[in-house]
Amino acid sequence: MPDIIKFSGLTKRYGTACVLDDASLLLVGGRVHALMGENGAGKSTLIKLIAGALRPDQMTARKNGQDLVLRSQADAMAAGFRFIHQEMNIVPQLSVAENILLGQPVPTRWGGLVDWPEMARRAANALHQLGAPALNMRRAAGSLSPVERMLVKLAAAFVGHEGAQSPCLYVLDEPTAALSQTEADALFSVIARLKSQGAAILYVSHRLNEVMQICDDVTVLRNGRAVMTAPLANTSKDEIILAMTGRAVADAFPPRPKPVVWDFGDDVICSAQYVATKSLSDLNFTLRAGEILGIGGLAGAGQTALLRLFLGLEPPYKGMAKLMRSAVPQSPSAAWARGVAYVPQERRTEGLMMAMGTRPNAMLAHYKGMFARLRNERVQTEDLTARLGILAAGPEQPVWQLSGGNQQKVVFARVLAQPPRLLLLDDPTRGVDVGAKYEIYNLIRELSAKGCAILLASSDLPELLGLSDRILVLQSGRQTGILKTDGLEPSDLLRTFYAAPPAAKSLISETI
Amino acid sequence: MIPVLRHLGTLIGLVVIVLFFAAQLPDTFLTARNLINISQQIAMLSVVAFTMTVVMVMNDFDLSVGSTASLAGIVAAVLFAMGFPIWVGVGAALAAGILGGLINGALVAYLGILPFVATLGTLTIFSGLAFFISGGETIFGRDIPKPFAEFARSGLPLDGVGLAGAQLPYLTIVAIVTLALVWVTLEHTVFGRKLYAIGGNIEAARLAGIDVARARFAAFGITGFGAAVAGLMYASRVASANPTQGAGLMLDAIAAVFLGMTMGKQGEPRVLATLVGVLILGILDNGLTQMQVDSYVREMLVGSIVIAAVAISSLGRRA
Repeated sequence: MPDIIKFSGLTKRYGTACVLDDASLLLVGGRVHALMGENGAGKSTLIKLIAGALRPDQMTARKNGQDLVLRSQADAMAAGFRFIHQEMNIVPQLSVAENILLGQPVPTRWGGLVDWPEMARRAANALHQLGAPALNMRRAAGSLSPVERMLVKLAAAFVGHEGAQSPCLYVLDEPTAALSQTEADALFSVIARLKSQGAAILYVSHRLNEVMQICDDVTVLRNGRAVMTAPLANTSKDEIILAMTGRAVADAFPPRPKPVVWDFGDDVICSAQYVATKSLSDLNFTLRAGEILGIGGLAGAGQTALLRLFLGLEPPYKGMAKLMRSAVPQSPSAAWARGVAYVPQERRTEGLMMAMGTRPNAMLAHYKGMFARLRNERVQTEDLTARLGILAAGPEQPVWQLSGGNQQKVVFARVLAQPPRLLLLDDPTRGVDVGAKYEIYNLIRELSAKGCAILLASSDLPELLGLSDRILVLQSGRQTGILKTDGLEPSDLLRTFYAAPPAAKSLISETI
Repeated sequence: MIPVLRHLGTLIGLVVIVLFFAAQLPDTFLTARNLINISQQIAMLSVVAFTMTVVMVMNDFDLSVGSTASLAGIVAAVLFAMGFPIWVGVGAALAAGILGGLINGALVAYLGILPFVATLGTLTIFSGLAFFISGGETIFGRDIPKPFAEFARSGLPLDGVGLAGAQLPYLTIVAIVTLALVWVTLEHTVFGRKLYAIGGNIEAARLAGIDVARARFAAFGITGFGAAVAGLMYASRVASANPTQGAGLMLDAIAAVFLGMTMGKQGEPRVLATLVGVLILGILDNGLTQMQVDSYVREMLVGSIVIAAVAISSLGRRA
């Protein structure tokens, strides 16, 4: 009898925003279940709920008909759930054996000294049972390759913790994000082994091809709801993509204020010809004033690197990359001085001084001359606060006290304080509520209408399609095409992210 | 109550200390002569602590200020002994301070070495250099020109404000001028805004186009300059220079800035708050000496007060 683990009524709200809405999930021992969905669809929230890491507003969990209590991570561990995250938290200074047996009582000999041979034997045994290639048990785990780390984490999960039930469910969150194809294959064979031993596996991935290859069932989340659950045999790639993206896309985005014109004139703001950098290659595009060029691709395909090419942080070593007819800047300070503005992806770590107010954050990029003029800064900040509708108790309220949407508006206040010629946006609405999202879209449109050229990277597919005039597609840092968004379906776009480069060719409009 | 304690606890502490000594030493403590005396005693520490604030605003710090001060005094004294005029000795000492600070700045900003490691290294180097130049000897007596030693012993007459016969010491004036300059720099210049931004989030500042390396480089130069000024003040005050005389400045200066940081809205250093920290340390020193408390007891007390102030402030923050 395989284990049957059933989650139902999974609900999580933050204030009025419902990130997970009555979703359910049925996992069966000996089967691999894929969990798919766009960024923000609720996948990571779902995992956190079943891991006991986040308090649900509602959730029922049953294993073989018995109710489970999942109030803490220890509860999830005791229930036999194991989680392997994309950021692999091994302890780099410790040996492979110690990492595998972390959480186990240490075997001892000679009255209390660590029995190293026994440790190595147990750890090697765990790897062997997984069907994984043998590793040197005394190596420092920090020197392992990504896939070896993954296997070590899997072996550690497999061995489990002292007193916990033997594992019945493995949750793998984007396990192949950092792996090459052959490495991924090694991982897949371990997954097959776990499966044959009767464990249920929840496999979270963006990579459709992988899911088709190794999974048995699939559940698709969209806007916090489980919109599709089916055996993979009864469905297709296209059906899954449709379920992920949905149909109602167009209305949520403010239209271009003027009729859509494809001719943006000759005011070229930036361009690239056969450009390669450390992590990018084959870049060929021209961006004109007033145009929004989207950058699409799977997570980590080089979107941020492409933006940073024009911020002076990704020096080109091949080809011609230009900003307003001269070479790209060599430092962020040179870039801002030449009219480039940047909205980074991680506003907490890269965007804002969290302990400081709206004023210093908004003024940051625009200090000039010798003396600062506080009154001037205050007036300008008040103006920006009003224009952007930032809700803050004055210009000095520390921004960590503001909501995510308001924080992001503060980052935009920095941009608006001196309208740029080229705006680099990296996931500009990440972690922002729906209302603030729409306001930010309006802002982007407004800047664009005034002739600002915009490079927009976004992991949010509808956003990318709704805002961009054209979309540049990246695969592992390589430009594989540029598509006009006019009449482009989300599923077509998503397909180019996955497609082998030659197949994508047919979709490429050759207008550069 | 808690928020008040958090921001003003250190200031209240200062008032309590003043009241305590005023009660214990009714005849001598709160007199114009004693207060002027305190201002002169803390002048060197003030200058170092104020300029130390400039780097601590960026979450950096400079351990080498003590040996920079000693080195500056030695450089001036050695040049005096060789017969150079005062302005040459003073100019060379200040230049040595700035250069030392800029070396720290280059190590931290351009080579990316942690300030702790970089300035620990230069601390040793500058100290060794001071010994090397002086041959390990104290330079004093006839080698120190009279006007140089006279500077620390004179001041502006205060007859005009009703204190006949009293003087506002030049050392105090130097400290006040330093305070004013650092205050203007940190609070009212673009450079100061950039320093606070770097302290707030160095990566965000860099991505927003602040030239972080250049700002850090310059800030360490200012701290080195301040240390050299303090070293010269010290040499003038004792009319001699020896290669260890600045050694005590570094820990007290950092302690003063930390005491001040407990008063910052978000725990950030402000130079006026550093002044409160300096006053606490200086007044404790003065009062306890007058009460003839053993100097070792004083040290233990000062350490406890710094820890208590920071602990109260961080407890308050968590609440």
